Amino acid sequence: MFDAQAKLSAVTLCLLLFVAHARAQGPAAARQGRLEQAAAHIAADRLAEAEQQLDAMLKAAPSDVLALNLLGTVRAKQGRLEEAEALFLRAVRADRRFVGARMNLAYLYLLKGAPEKTAAELREVLRLDPANMDAADRLARLVCALESGLEECVRLVEGERGAGRLTPALALLLGDAYLRKNDLSRAEELYLRVLGSLATSAEAQVGMALVSQARGDARAAALHLTRARESVGDAPELLYRFAVAALKSGMYAEAQEALERAARLAPADAAYRVALGAVWLKKPDLFEAERAFREALRLSPDEPRALMYLGYTLLKQKKTAEARGLLERSARNDATSAETFYYLGLAAQEQADDAAAVEYFGTAVRLLPTYARAHVALGSVFLKLKQYPKAQAALEAGVTLDPDDSKAHYNLARLYAQLKDPKRARAEMEIVERLKSEGKAREDDSAAPPGPR
Amino acid sequence: MKAKHANTLLALLLLASAHGAAARQAAPPKRPPVAFAEVPAKASGINWVHNNAHSPERWLPETVGAGCAFLDYDGDGWMDIYLVNSGPSDFYAPTAPLRNALYRNNRDGTFSDVTDRAGVAGGTFGMGAAAADYDGDGRQDLYVTSYGRNILYRNNGDGTFADVTAKAGVAAPGWSTCATWLDYDADGRLDLFVSSFVFYDKTQNLYCTDESKRRYYCVPRFFKPAASRLFRNKGDGTFADASRESGIADSPGKSFGAVATDVNNDGLIDLFVANDTMPNFLFINKGGGKFEEEGLGAGVAYSEAGRPRSGMGVDAGDFDGDGWQDLFVANIDQEFFSLYRNQKDLTFTDEPGEIAPATQLLSGWGLKFFDYDNDGDADLLLANGHPDDLIEMRVARVKYREPLLMFENTRRSYKNVSAHSGAVFARDFSGRGLAVGDYDNDGDLDALLSNNGEPPVLLRNDGGSRGNWLGLRLVATKSNPAAVGTLITWQAGGVKRTRLKTGGGSYLASHDPREVLGLGEAAKADAVEIRWPSGKVDRLVGPPANRYVTVVEGEGIK
Repeated sequence: MFDAQAKLSAVTLCLLLFVAHARAQGPAAARQGRLEQAAAHIAADRLAEAEQQLDAMLKAAPSDVLALNLLGTVRAKQGRLEEAEALFLRAVRADRRFVGARMNLAYLYLLKGAPEKTAAELREVLRLDPANMDAADRLARLVCALESGLEECVRLVEGERGAGRLTPALALLLGDAYLRKNDLSRAEELYLRVLGSLATSAEAQVGMALVSQARGDARAAALHLTRARESVGDAPELLYRFAVAALKSGMYAEAQEALERAARLAPADAAYRVALGAVWLKKPDLFEAERAFREALRLSPDEPRALMYLGYTLLKQKKTAEARGLLERSARNDATSAETFYYLGLAAQEQADDAAAVEYFGTAVRLLPTYARAHVALGSVFLKLKQYPKAQAALEAGVTLDPDDSKAHYNLARLYAQLKDPKRARAEMEIVERLKSEGKAREDDSAAPPGPR
Repeated sequence: MKAKHANTLLALLLLASAHGAAARQAAPPKRPPVAFAEVPAKASGINWVHNNAHSPERWLPETVGAGCAFLDYDGDGWMDIYLVNSGPSDFYAPTAPLRNALYRNNRDGTFSDVTDRAGVAGGTFGMGAAAADYDGDGRQDLYVTSYGRNILYRNNGDGTFADVTAKAGVAAPGWSTCATWLDYDADGRLDLFVSSFVFYDKTQNLYCTDESKRRYYCVPRFFKPAASRLFRNKGDGTFADASRESGIADSPGKSFGAVATDVNNDGLIDLFVANDTMPNFLFINKGGGKFEEEGLGAGVAYSEAGRPRSGMGVDAGDFDGDGWQDLFVANIDQEFFSLYRNQKDLTFTDEPGEIAPATQLLSGWGLKFFDYDNDGDADLLLANGHPDDLIEMRVARVKYREPLLMFENTRRSYKNVSAHSGAVFARDFSGRGLAVGDYDNDGDLDALLSNNGEPPVLLRNDGGSRGNWLGLRLVATKSNPAAVGTLITWQAGGVKRTRLKTGGGSYLASHDPREVLGLGEAAKADAVEIRWPSGKVDRLVGPPANRYVTVVEGEGIK
C-alpha cells in the first residue's frame, strides 16, 4: 500500500533543490560542478557514477555536508536506508542548520514508517527556517493525518494563516481538522473559503457534505455530494474520501462507483477493495463483499483488516471454518484489534468451541474494555456453560456500557428463565420488545462495532 | 494513509444482514449414494394438482398450503396418499369445484383416486392433514386442517370415511395449520394439538406493497396471533377443548409446524411449536394435563440475538445418538435454519453446521429426520420455497421456487449430499408439506412433497434398502394407538441405537406410522426392545431382517 519507489523519487527531487541552493554558497566552482554532476547522475538513475564521484569527494573532505547529503540520497535510492540515514545524520551533525539534509531525513523516516521522527525533523526545519512553506505544508499534512496530531495540526495551520500563507490546500486541512474537532462553523468557513476561490473543489464540497451530515442536514449533504461527484476527478484518495461521505449519506451507488474507479486507478492498492467490500456489506450483499475482500487479499495477502472483514463476511454466511482461519491470521498479523478477537469468539461459539470462545471474547474485552458486545458475547458463552454468576456479571457489564443492547437483555432474560425467575426474565424481554419497537434491536448476532474510532 | 482511511471507513459501517449462500454442496459420500427418483404422474397415476387460489389481492392463506399425508386407510399394509387442496372461503369462490384427494396404493407403484368413494374431498380452504387411529378401532382416521373449519374423518373400515367433526367437537374455527396427534395425559388415547395461525378474515387483508406498487403477500408480523388448541380425547368419540386448562391457550402464537416429543426424558410428551415472526414455543409437559412454555430458557424461542424468526417446519429426533431429542426449525431466507442440540438439562444449543450456509437463501417448510440410507441414524430432508411469489423482484438471489436439500448424518453434524441424491435435487419447487413413508414396502423410506399451486412430487428412495432393515408395525393395546412416546432400542452389528416415536413433525404433513430400523451392514438385529408409553416392554431377540413385523404391545411379534 505504500509506494516506496515514488517516495525515493521524492527524495531525489528534493535533494536537487538543495544542490542548487548549495551552488550559491559554495566557495569552489569545481566542487560545485562535481556536486551538480553527481546530482545529475542521481536524477538519471546512474547511481554507480554518482557514488564514485561522491566517494572521491568525501575522501578529500569527509565532512562535506553536501556530498554526504547526496551520497545519502544514493543509498536511499539503492534501498540501503540505514546507511542513508547515517549519512544524512553525519551531514546534520556537521552543519546543524543544514535544512536540506533535515528534509531528506524527514522523507527517509517517512519511508521507514516513522512519522513521528519525520515530524520532528520538519519541526526542526521550521525552527531554522520559519518561512519554509514546503516544510510547513508537509508537517501540516503529516500531523493532521495522525490521530494524536489534531491540536498541533490546528496550531500549525492557524500559524500559517496568521502569516498570510493559507493556501487552499492548507485551508482544506484546517477545515478537516475543525471537522474532527466538531467545530462545524469553523470547518464550514474554511471549506467555503476554498470554494470561494475554487468553486469546483471536490474536496471542499465533500467537506461541506460532512459538515451537513454532522448537522443532520441530509438534504444539504446530498446536494454537496452531488456537486462533488461532478468534479471529484481521478485522484484515488479523493474518490475514497468522497465514498466515505457518500456512504454516510446512504448513497451506496455513488460510493460504490467512486471506489470502483479508485480501484481501477490504483489496481495494486488493496485498500480500495477493502472499502468496496465494506460498501457491499452495507448494501447488503455478502457475496459481492466476499468477492471484493478476496480481491483485496489477492493484492495484499496479509492485510489484517481485509482478513478480518473477509472472515466476518464468511461468518455471516455461516462458513465458519474458513472464517475462523482468516480471523486467526488477522489476529496473528494484528493482535491489537478487539473486533478481530470478537469475531473469532463468534466463530468459536458457532463451532461449539466454548473454551476458545471465552478466551477470544476475553481478549477482546481486555483490548477494549468498553466493548459492550464482547462483554455480552462472553456472557452468552458463560450462560451456555451454566456459569451463571459469570454470565450475569458479563451481561450486566454489557448493559452498563450499552443499555440498548438487545442481545444483552435477551441473554439476561434467558439467564433468569433458567434460574426460574420468570418475573425478571419477562422484564428483560419487555426491554427487548421495547428496543425492537424503537428500532434499536440488534438485527443480527454479529454486527460490527458501531461508530468511528 | 489509505490504511487509516480504511480504518475510518470500515469503522463507520454498521454491517448489515446476511445474504446468500450456495444451496447445493458437492462432496461425495463414502458409500454409493442413495438417490431419490421423481416418480412422474403418468407412472404413479397421481394427476391431482394443488390450486393455491392465487389472486391479485394476495390473501395470505393462498401462500401457506398445502399439506400431504402417507396413511394406510384400507389397512392393507401399503401406504396410501392424501393431498389437501384449497377451497371455498370468505375470500375465495372457486370457479370449479376443488377437492382434496385420496389415492389408494395399488401395490405396484401406481395409485388410484378413491376420493369420491371414500368421501374425503374436503370442501374447505384446506391446509394440512394428520392421520391416526383416534378411536382405537385399528383404522387410521384423518384430520384435515383449514382456513375456516377443520374436518375429522372417521374411518368406517369399508373404504369410506364419515365427517364426525361436529360430534367430536374439533372444528376449531379460525385458521388452523398443522395438526399433531399425541397422548399428553398418558391415558392411552390420542389427543389432538392444532396449531393456530393468525386472526385473519377477508376484512383484515392489508395492502402490502413497495415502491413499485406491486402488491405482495404481507408478512405475518402485521396480524394478531391466535392461541393454538389442544383437544383432549374423552374416549367416547368426542374431545374436550383443553386449551385453557392445559396452559396452551396462555401462549397465543402464529403457529405452523409442531412436533410431539419428550425433550427432557421424563416420559411425558412435550410439544415444540414453530411460530412465524414470533418466538417458538416449547411446551413442557408438567404432568396432570398441564404444560408450561419454556422456550426462552431452553434457547429455542429466538435467534441468538434475541429476535423472533419465521419458524415454519419443525421436527424432533436424536440426531447425535445421545439418547436425547434434538430439535430442528426451518425459517425464512436470511434467518438460517436451526439444529438445536439437546444439552440434557432443558437447554439447547443451535449447531446447524453445514446446514446453515446451505439454507441461507432458502425458506423451509416440510422437513423430516429419517434414516434414508438405513445405517441407523437420522438423516434430514428439507423442502423449501419462498412464500412470496414476487420475491425475486424485491430481493437479489432469493428465489420463489427453491431446491430440496438432503443431509446425511455424520453423527456429529450433517453433510449436504443433495448433489448426489438424485436429479430432483437440481430442480426447484414451491415446496410446502413433506411426508415420509415406505410406499413401495421395499424397506427404505420414500417421500412425498406437496407444492403450492403445483403438482405434488412423489420421491422413490432407490438404494436406501441396500442397508439391512427391520420394519415395525406397532399395535398398542394399552398405550395410545399411534404409539407416540414409544422408545425403541435396537442392537445390530455391535451398535446400539435408540429412537423415540414422535408425533407430527414436518409441515402440514403426516407420515408412515411404521418404524423402519436401519441395521446398516449387520445381517439382522441382535435384539430389539420396545418400551411402550404404558411402561410395558417387548423384547425381540433375533427378529428377521428386511421385512415388516407387527409387534403387539405386551405380546411381541405377531
